[in-house]
Amino acid sequence: MKDDHKPISRKAFMDELARYRKGSVTRRHFLGVTGLGTAMAVMGGTLPRMARAQDIGNRVVLATWPNYHDPADFDAFTDATGAYTQVNVFGSNEEMLAKIQAGGSGWDVFVPTNYAIPTYVEAGLIEPLDLSKIPNYDPASYDPRFAEAGTIDGTVYGVPKNWGTTGIAFNSDKTGGVVDSWKTFFDGARDQFDGRVMVHDYQLTTIGNALVYHGFSFNSVDPAELAKAEELLIDVKPHLYAISSDYQPAMRNGDAWLTMCWTGDGKQMNTDMPEIGFALGKEGGEIWSDYYAIPKDAPHKEAAYALINFLLDPEVNAREALAHGYPVADSRTNALLPQELLDDPIIYPAAEALSPLEFGAAVTLTDPNRAELMARFKSA
Amino acid sequence: MERAASMQVRPEETVAEFVGASKRYGEVLAADRIDLRIRRGEFLSFLGPSGCGKTTALRMLAGFESPTGGAVLIDGRDVGAIPAYRRPVNMVFQHYALFPHMTVAENVGYGLRQRRPRMARREIAEKVEKALATVRLDAFGPRRIWEMSGGQQQRVALARAIVNEPKILLLDEPMAALDAKLRGEMQRELLDLQRSLGITFVLVTHDQEEALAMSDRICIMGKGRIAQIGSPQELYDRPANRYVADFVGKANILSAQIASREGGLAQAVLGNGAAVTVADAPGAAATEAEIAVRPEALSLAAAGAPLPEGMTALPARVTHRTFLGDHTEYLLEAPRVGALQVNVPRQAERAAGGHGMGAEVHVLWPAGAGLVLAAG
Amino acid sequence: MAMTRSRARALLLTPAGLWYAAMLLMPLAVVLIFSFGERSQIGGYAPGFTLEQYANLPARFAAFRNTLTLAPLGTLASLLIAYPLAYYLAVKVSPKWKTMLLVLVIVPFWTSILIRSYAWIFLLGGKGIPALLAMAGLEDVRLLNTPFAVLVGIVYGYLPLMVFPIYVALEKLDKRLLEAAADLGTPPWRAFVQITLPLSMPGVLTGSMLVFILLMGEFLIPSILGGGKVFFVGNALVDLFLQSRNWPFGSAVAVGLVVVMLVVVGLYTRAAKRFGVGRDDAALM
Repeated sequence: MKDDHKPISRKAFMDELARYRKGSVTRRHFLGVTGLGTAMAVMGGTLPRMARAQDIGNRVVLATWPNYHDPADFDAFTDATGAYTQVNVFGSNEEMLAKIQAGGSGWDVFVPTNYAIPTYVEAGLIEPLDLSKIPNYDPASYDPRFAEAGTIDGTVYGVPKNWGTTGIAFNSDKTGGVVDSWKTFFDGARDQFDGRVMVHDYQLTTIGNALVYHGFSFNSVDPAELAKAEELLIDVKPHLYAISSDYQPAMRNGDAWLTMCWTGDGKQMNTDMPEIGFALGKEGGEIWSDYYAIPKDAPHKEAAYALINFLLDPEVNAREALAHGYPVADSRTNALLPQELLDDPIIYPAAEALSPLEFGAAVTLTDPNRAELMARFKSA
Repeated sequence: MERAASMQVRPEETVAEFVGASKRYGEVLAADRIDLRIRRGEFLSFLGPSGCGKTTALRMLAGFESPTGGAVLIDGRDVGAIPAYRRPVNMVFQHYALFPHMTVAENVGYGLRQRRPRMARREIAEKVEKALATVRLDAFGPRRIWEMSGGQQQRVALARAIVNEPKILLLDEPMAALDAKLRGEMQRELLDLQRSLGITFVLVTHDQEEALAMSDRICIMGKGRIAQIGSPQELYDRPANRYVADFVGKANILSAQIASREGGLAQAVLGNGAAVTVADAPGAAATEAEIAVRPEALSLAAAGAPLPEGMTALPARVTHRTFLGDHTEYLLEAPRVGALQVNVPRQAERAAGGHGMGAEVHVLWPAGAGLVLAAG
Repeated sequence: MAMTRSRARALLLTPAGLWYAAMLLMPLAVVLIFSFGERSQIGGYAPGFTLEQYANLPARFAAFRNTLTLAPLGTLASLLIAYPLAYYLAVKVSPKWKTMLLVLVIVPFWTSILIRSYAWIFLLGGKGIPALLAMAGLEDVRLLNTPFAVLVGIVYGYLPLMVFPIYVALEKLDKRLLEAAADLGTPPWRAFVQITLPLSMPGVLTGSMLVFILLMGEFLIPSILGGGKVFFVGNALVDLFLQSRNWPFGSAVAVGLVVVMLVVVGLYTRAAKRFGVGRDDAALM
């Protein structure tokens, strides 16, 4: 408490972060030592534009992905506005779409991935955003690669949350080195890594990476190319450890050696177990960006705007990034993050590693052949 | 009477025997050093109130309980180590314990089907048919158990037991669940059955009339012990102690001073100074004693009427009078003697005339009626 | 008189009728209508009348095959484990411990099956039982994400549902029947086969039916312990409704499942009747 206002050194920050992650210090201690608590306290008292509780209601419902937020920030939001954030967690864009499509989801804010947004717009399920209610969103400070999918025909439907990649996590103790190609991934699954490989329970990435293995586009919906991908997947299936997007437990206890993996999970496992590495497939793969958006039938729209605006505050956004380990496209936020994080090759890979990657295409979400291919693969 | 006669043809033959058999459950002594020989072919009843040990005795014989002391012998062999399923006895259970998932015929044939080596199917069918005929259920073989009335279930249980031709048939309160009319019928049928089969029957009952009506011998039990064994007549005429006198039939039990004893008779002086002549208890010596006399052994005379020869008259007052058809039951209060019950047969009352409530009468006690009760 | 009586009866039956209509028939009707429709462009349901969805059912043959293999197998395994346990609880345990042991059987029900199944991930995973087996010299045994793991999860998850009906049947079994059997010359083990087992069949039947029907719709345990590789019809339904959003095909699969279930349950009931179970319920009550 002696010198609260003195900036903490980057080294000390990372040490504290590691301790906090391991649970050996409390959140309060962490926030206090790092100065983030002060930032938060200051912010809480100096948010003149923040709507007051009676204006936005006492509740906001957020549909998002697992391990994608710092719960402390929701507490801070409640402190500032009186609105309590109810969090629903989902496993795929398909699942989110199914819920919204069925109607009455009750969600106020949700987090679609870039390629899903056109479908929501087309189906009239998503609200055009009134940016005047999100003053913390400053388009100029965002890398357009990770912001442009939120805008369709000049209308903004989503504002960027985080971006990331889908690569390969490998246990180098078992694989004997880096695995950075889908060729090694799928061939090894049937050979030296038999019974040790996991693929996502998610059509976009599992089919996409099987397409990339054959040199096709990650987003292909060409029936002939899909047939080749299906052939590969069905052939690999008996040799897989599991088809699951919940791969961290199996990787951590050594049952699985190799898995399709999202950036943040790769970072989290690598931090705790340095032998688990993360690499991008050199043939290609997915790069993605997630957006905050509001469903058309959101019951608490004012609260939705307030929550999005709150989470996009660079201070808050930086704390979120520290908690989940996914990169941010907002230069204001990055300025607040420690250099170690910005230099981390898992979180911010080199530009040339990113270049073969593709953003998911809207058509993959709704293409009936891809959906049915995935279902056939799983039920085979 | 003729049954008793047939018994005497082979009086020495013992089919089962309790030798100091005891059964202890923790602190409770359910059976206490029971000594008893069961004669081949007899109808023996264990009689007593609930908790007297009669059921325990039966279950030790069946093999459901093993004695914690002493032994149980069947045909001279200690059966302590022989489980129930290998004993040559069968039981008719209190609530019949018929197998609900089998037909009547399947129930009856059950015991035969357990025989090893196996009995031929046809032989079983024949025996079952015969057993059903014996209990007059000829056409009921294919029926389900729950389609049968209580009385019919009772017969099925009986058939299921006798079809095995056991050395001893055990009956555990078999008629407790039947109404009075049906019970009388069943009692006669059981007697006929026993006579025709010649199997030893051992009945457990708390109903003294049932025991008196059916048994060659009755074993009266109390507190885990045998109170007295004997023929119904012996028990009735010569109850060994107050417990038996009280339990079998009705008895007036009075305190008396024994003035003298001679030739098996005793002069007992009652509380009012009157002396009566009663049978003495074998080996009794105490001067303070209880004497018992059956209500039908006494008679009534109007006060002041001439006293017949050999009678002692006790002045008394009628407190209750109950007309019961064949006899009238009088309850009386005799000063310094106590309450007395006198049963006057219809014929005698018709001849001498009745006595109204509150009437002053004499209770007439014939010499030799009643007996001295052994202590305990 | 008769009029008012039947009217009163109709009135009394109305709530039950409404309940059936709302809770049973309406959802079923919706599923039936959907099953003849088409998948809309972005997924979901588009009205139409086509038998295409039913024609496509063979595409889920593997899911039906897995379900129809593992559901009866899981029922049987649950039965084989539950029966001795129920017997022990109903017959052998002293009344002093009975309540406590019964509560212990239910306690796992107090937590979600999800959490309990996750516990098995650790037990069956490489650091769990296989590690113990490795110490005993059995190297490289894989348990997790196999049909065996799913079976373990099923037995674990459904055991109480099997134990209780059997326990109740055994508990109300008249012990004097066993004495009667012994009295008639039957040794204990044979009395078990001839008396105890047949008379506990109503409980066995109820428990098996309950477990089997629930297993036919199971999706959580295979998805957690089968690693997405052991696929039930339930998993196919989850995928069709929540992932590929092919509601018409999902509805057709659901209708298919209901039909298969009716057929299997029908056969089961008939077989059970032939073995003489059920007819005697009246006598047991």
